[in-house]
Amino acid sequence: MHFFSQNFDYSHPWSHVVIGMWRKYPNPKCSHVISIDVLDRSVDPGTGIIRTERVLGCKQKAPGWIVKLFGGSEDAFVREIIFVDPATQNASITSVNLSMSQFATCFERIQYTPATCDTTLFSQTAEIQARMALWRSAADNLEKWLVQRFEQNAQLGKLAFTDVLRTLWEERHAQQAASI
Amino acid sequence: MADSLSPECTPLKHEYDSCFNAWFEGYLEPAVAASTNPEIRSAYSKRKAEEFNSKCGPVWEKYRACIKKAVKDRGLDVLLQQAREEHPLTEPPPPPPANAPSSTKKA
Repeated sequence: MHFFSQNFDYSHPWSHVVIGMWRKYPNPKCSHVISIDVLDRSVDPGTGIIRTERVLGCKQKAPGWIVKLFGGSEDAFVREIIFVDPATQNASITSVNLSMSQFATCFERIQYTPATCDTTLFSQTAEIQARMALWRSAADNLEKWLVQRFEQNAQLGKLAFTDVLRTLWEERHAQQAASI
Repeated sequence: MADSLSPECTPLKHEYDSCFNAWFEGYLEPAVAASTNPEIRSAYSKRKAEEFNSKCGPVWEKYRACIKKAVKDRGLDVLLQQAREEHPLTEPPPPPPANAPSSTKKA
């Protein structure tokens, strides 16, 4: 598991940042995000908390070997859950990859909270984790296959050398017998 | 505004986004102000939730039907269901720890 985190301040008040949050994309600096869809949204009539579930479509530029090994496609999708709580002035975006999620997960959380009355703290953490059970079984199967190949080759090697020795010494013996 | 993953849903998606953004921009700052008092907050939240549903509900229903089909057609519904089971995320997370240092580390 790998962790990542960073914090910094935006020089805008919290409400401006949170209004802008919904307008971040499309963005020429983040051209990999090509679609955003809202799947669910609720406004809690008691607390005023807004919960939104979105799915982002990204053009992934994965290294060729990853695409070959895992059969990934060009399109990758991410699920996001966004909470905006006006009472605590906390806006959070939690995202998890949907594509390739059988191999590895990237769990990211971004939070926007007021730093001062006209600046906003951006706080980001991410946990990146390969699904170890899957890797272990893949590694196990690879080892088994290698052992089988090794055994087969060892067996063939024995037969092959037996042939060479027999041929060599049968010929030599025949030659000796003939020259006597 | 970002497009939908399905071109046929994009016009409805843009209409819905415009509706939400207009509502949200009127909602947010008074909601912060209203949250100093639980009774005022509750009354404000109830009124604004109703207003949102009546203003944006009709286009939401159309957009939702469109995107639901598009998600299913791409097989994303199965992946979404798995993700929802693994992380329901039904409650807001606690606020970030104060003065947490920035770092990258390996466990």
